[in-house]
Amino acid sequence: MTGAAARPPRAAAPYEVDLALRVNGITRRLRVDTRVTLLDALRDVLGMTGTKKGCDQGACGACTVLLDGRRVVSCLVLAAACEGRDVTTIEGLAHDDGTPHPVQQAFIRHDGFQCGYCTPGQIMSAVSLLAEGRGGSDAEIREFMSGNLCRCGAYPNIVAAIREVAKAGDDDAGV
Amino acid sequence: MMRAFEYVRATDTARAVEMVTADPNTSYLAGGTTQLDLMKDGVLAPERLVDITHLPLRGVTGGRGALRVGALTTMEELAADTTVVERIPFVRDALLLGASTQLRNMATIAGNLLQRTRCRYFRDPAVAACNKRERGSGCAAMTGTARMHAILGTSPHCIALHASDVAVPLVALDAILRVQGRDGARGVPLTRFYLTPGDTPDVENLLRHGELITAVEIPLPALGTRSGYLKVRDRVSYEFALTSAAAALLIEDGIIVEARVGLGGVGTVPWRAREAEEILIGAPATMEVFRQSAERALEGARTISGTAFKVELAKRTLVRILRTVSGVVA
Amino acid sequence: MTSAMNEPRPAGVLIGQGLDRLDGPLKVTGAAPYPSDFDLPGMAYASLVRSTIASGRISRIDRGPAEAAPGVLAVVTHENAPKLGRGPKTILGAAPPPPLRDDRILHHGQFVAVVVAETAEQAAEAARLVQPEYDAADPVLDLADPRAKVRDDPWHVDMRRGNLDAGLAAADVTFQATYTTPENTNNPLGLFATVAAWEGDTLTVHDSTQWPYNTRGALARSFGVPERGVRVLAPFVGGGFGSGLRAWPHVILAALAARIIERPVKLVLTRPQMFTAVGHRPNTVQNVRLGATRDGRLLAIEHTSDSPVAMEDDNLEPITLGTSTAYACPNLITRDRQIRLNVPCPGSMRAPGEAQGNFALESALDELSYDLGMDPVRLRLVNESTVHPQTGLPWSSRAMRECYLQGAERFGWSLRSPEPRSMRDGDWLVGYGMAGASFLHYQAKCQARASIDRDGTAYVRSAGTDIGTGTYTVMTQLAAETLGLRTDRVRLGLGDTDLPMAPQAGGSGLTGALGGAVHAACVRLVHDFLRLVRNDPESPLRGCDLEDITLHDGRIQRTDDPTRGETYAGILARHGLEELTADGDSSPPRGDMIALVGSMVTSRLGRFGRAAVRATRAVAPAGACGAKFVEVRVDPDLGLLRVTRIVSVIDGGRILNEKTARSQITGAVVGGIGMAMFEETITDAGTGRIANATFGDYLIAVNADIPEMDVHFVGEPDPANPIGTKGVGEIGLVGIAPAIANAVYHATGRRVRSLPITIDRLL
Repeated sequence: MTGAAARPPRAAAPYEVDLALRVNGITRRLRVDTRVTLLDALRDVLGMTGTKKGCDQGACGACTVLLDGRRVVSCLVLAAACEGRDVTTIEGLAHDDGTPHPVQQAFIRHDGFQCGYCTPGQIMSAVSLLAEGRGGSDAEIREFMSGNLCRCGAYPNIVAAIREVAKAGDDDAGV
Repeated sequence: MMRAFEYVRATDTARAVEMVTADPNTSYLAGGTTQLDLMKDGVLAPERLVDITHLPLRGVTGGRGALRVGALTTMEELAADTTVVERIPFVRDALLLGASTQLRNMATIAGNLLQRTRCRYFRDPAVAACNKRERGSGCAAMTGTARMHAILGTSPHCIALHASDVAVPLVALDAILRVQGRDGARGVPLTRFYLTPGDTPDVENLLRHGELITAVEIPLPALGTRSGYLKVRDRVSYEFALTSAAAALLIEDGIIVEARVGLGGVGTVPWRAREAEEILIGAPATMEVFRQSAERALEGARTISGTAFKVELAKRTLVRILRTVSGVVA
Repeated sequence: MTSAMNEPRPAGVLIGQGLDRLDGPLKVTGAAPYPSDFDLPGMAYASLVRSTIASGRISRIDRGPAEAAPGVLAVVTHENAPKLGRGPKTILGAAPPPPLRDDRILHHGQFVAVVVAETAEQAAEAARLVQPEYDAADPVLDLADPRAKVRDDPWHVDMRRGNLDAGLAAADVTFQATYTTPENTNNPLGLFATVAAWEGDTLTVHDSTQWPYNTRGALARSFGVPERGVRVLAPFVGGGFGSGLRAWPHVILAALAARIIERPVKLVLTRPQMFTAVGHRPNTVQNVRLGATRDGRLLAIEHTSDSPVAMEDDNLEPITLGTSTAYACPNLITRDRQIRLNVPCPGSMRAPGEAQGNFALESALDELSYDLGMDPVRLRLVNESTVHPQTGLPWSSRAMRECYLQGAERFGWSLRSPEPRSMRDGDWLVGYGMAGASFLHYQAKCQARASIDRDGTAYVRSAGTDIGTGTYTVMTQLAAETLGLRTDRVRLGLGDTDLPMAPQAGGSGLTGALGGAVHAACVRLVHDFLRLVRNDPESPLRGCDLEDITLHDGRIQRTDDPTRGETYAGILARHGLEELTADGDSSPPRGDMIALVGSMVTSRLGRFGRAAVRATRAVAPAGACGAKFVEVRVDPDLGLLRVTRIVSVIDGGRILNEKTARSQITGAVVGGIGMAMFEETITDAGTGRIANATFGDYLIAVNADIPEMDVHFVGEPDPANPIGTKGVGEIGLVGIAPAIANAVYHATGRRVRSLPITIDRLL
């Protein structure tokens, strides 16, 4: 165990790494401080601010992205560990012609958000949930969306939006 | 926020073990859900992280009456394994109830078993008194009001809870950890792996610095065994257990032939309730027997004001899961 | 204003319709810019250091190690900070004390240094190298601490009418109990962020605020610069729930850091800092005494409360005031006390004061209903007042009776068997509970500006914010309706102090205030178009006044002959104008002041005061009201509590947009469920440290906790407001906690008088 409190304050020079990862299908090369999380790399290095920071502790889901097709909280992933990996963010969800993803459309129709801050994370989680085959019932949707906090309390509308896309069995509902 | 550190990606297990063993300030990085969280809090400050996620330690394979789970298998992957679903469904339940899908996609099984306590006194360096962070500094949690502390296996020096869900059925099943060190490999039963705090709350398990868990072997219970995991918490989802109980029972002609019981949310380590098992084995599956076993399981409980309710709650949790698994009508 | 323009429009009109949120496309694509999303050239990052004691002095604070850390540009403590001014007073009280003013520590988590560095990682690491030493004092942390200073009647709104003792003496049944509510923390998902950039004495700030004009004023005073040189932008805010109503110290510190290094600076609070730096709902200890006749008529209500406030800081939060106007009752005393503690300052959190006060009152009424053997809905109906109970003025409108009756009907209240613990479903005990709810009327002055330009599109703007409430959408609907344009021909500007003055998005007051101003600006704009063509021989509208015309799809036409008319664009083109602009404003209704002052006059002068106030013939503007019905299930063995159904019937006056208003209520109910069942900010005794300042430890409701909801609106446009609204931001939360507690009692026979109702309280 490395106890931080046991050691006197020190200021270490930062370590940097070069890496290449695919973000929404496009290879991006960047040099980052090893401490930079995937979340901060997206926001601060790549300028993709659609992914949000709500706690930076893996407890709210606002920073949810797909990593190699699976949903993760990007605040607990080191950018350095993403070499060669595929990242999908809210900016990459629309179809090539610019049409919003069915889940995005359903969120608007059902008013599945208010302030909108948790929304990118909710939508990434919802898209993943559908791919996992967990949209079968309201109870299932609620359980498997519970890693995404919404303080505005849009939960019932989020469930309605996901239910609609799940029922439609939309072929476009993947990524 | 994190101290600066060097990042190294391991491609070879032996080299990774060598690298970490050689330097006390080097740590492994797998799923990162505990490691990075504690680094951000300033509780951990390694100077080098060795990323082991690319080592070939992932996947579930069947064996003679046991599953071998690669250490880097994620919680989500293990929960989806057909043998787990069919033979030890309480492991699946504990995995699914243990974290959000996002975290289950990240957290590895070995990382889950090595997760650090959620004690907010441990996790906040602004609190000076924490024997787990710094031996001899005291325990601020003792006088705190929070509910999230252990009542079994505590010592006057630490009441920090081990919060893993899946560890509870795994200790009940006598899972074995495969551990690789610089000087060779060894197997450690999970029930012996964890150490109660005693005078050294900072020493949490038998793992020596640099040793790497490579697999978890889960013995499968006899065919016909039924199991269940009950997690009690205020929220319906996405919360650590106030109490939980894992039970696997083999009942023949109304008599409990085999019983495996674990308790969560109550122990400084994932709690194997052997005293409860002793009552159950050979006894008829009745509510009366279940209650007796629960009484015995909690006999050693020690509480502070915030955790006093857990003794009764833990008993009822165990009784309820025994009732559910056995199908006995209350 | 004209009759033609004020009358409700026939079917197919815009107002009231559940139009999809117009900022939806931005929000679902991640393109809506929140304050933390702004990046400016040359920007540096700030990180804050917090005290680890609650009371005492800093004996030593060494900047050296942090200054020597890589990338660090500045380290500012009280030793090298310039003297900062204190922001202006607002309706909420004095501004927070300026940061870094001296060596004193008044609460755990107080900001004691700001560190600025090239990257966020470097700033955060260096901030940890600032390790002050303290001379700690014994903090005052408990409401019951005899050392604590007490402020009696801190806002001069304690109420009194009739003779309480006489009322109690005359009562057939009396009841008394103590209720407590814990601290709750607002915790909007959006971490509060400030991006500040100076050019000389000119300052531009992106900030997570619900009140840009207030932040502007506070920044100007802090740095002694003119207000007109300070621009505050908040087009999108990641929620607030009251925490964005003050210009908190971190906002000032971000601007200070930028001023010192002469570069733009970004500061994003951490989640733990969100528990100590931007307010929270204060805990309360409340006492309620009731006296009633055998048939349920209330003869006496006494409601008192103690709640904390920080040292040298301020918070407007009357807990018991709402009780004075909740029911008809001739004899009443309400009394608030504020206790000074070494805690982070409390502040508004969704339905401030009313959330806590209503929990005590509506729980007590439920208890009284059992003592009387009377249905709880009937008890409330018996005591519903058709007039403002404190002044005797008629309500501007109040459909409370409909709320109760329709709520009971929709819920199926008649299926309730009155006896506690009498309804069951397997392992689960089933309970029904209900509560009444009202929220005081609030409105402040507001301005708006509306333009139509050569292409016939409108631009309507004001400095108010949309914190998720739907302001962009409903104001667009209102402007489109008033101007006779399609909503896609109206652009709305919000959240910018370069736009006309607007009050806070708070107190359920912005929609009424801003709606009034937008409406007035749009009406004036149409009027100005008519004035332009009044003597224009080429115009078919020559000589027309507002009452002679109707508006349709960008065209002004004569009501007597709709074929005669012309478009906005056509008028502008003919007159060689690029655009026409008009301003509008709104003010609180006259009755608001009369009801408030009248309440105090009545309180002090009794019957004579009441007669004097009645002589004004005013009406008392009513805030929103509603009734909440809840079904819970309790597993008594394991202490599990689940909410399975909720019906909310709300009188919110005129509903501008069904869909967004419904979302407001739904969301507030979710907040109410959290308050009732999960939320409790825990302060360590002795140290004053918040013990659960993370989302893993401070529990808010998750998706799986929330059942389907029935939200239903009743009532009519409220005549006290020009656009007829009452505001629906808070009313959804009020009453949820007592309705759940009352349902828990009905299910289990166990009365829980302390929130939250957690497992340990139900075993």
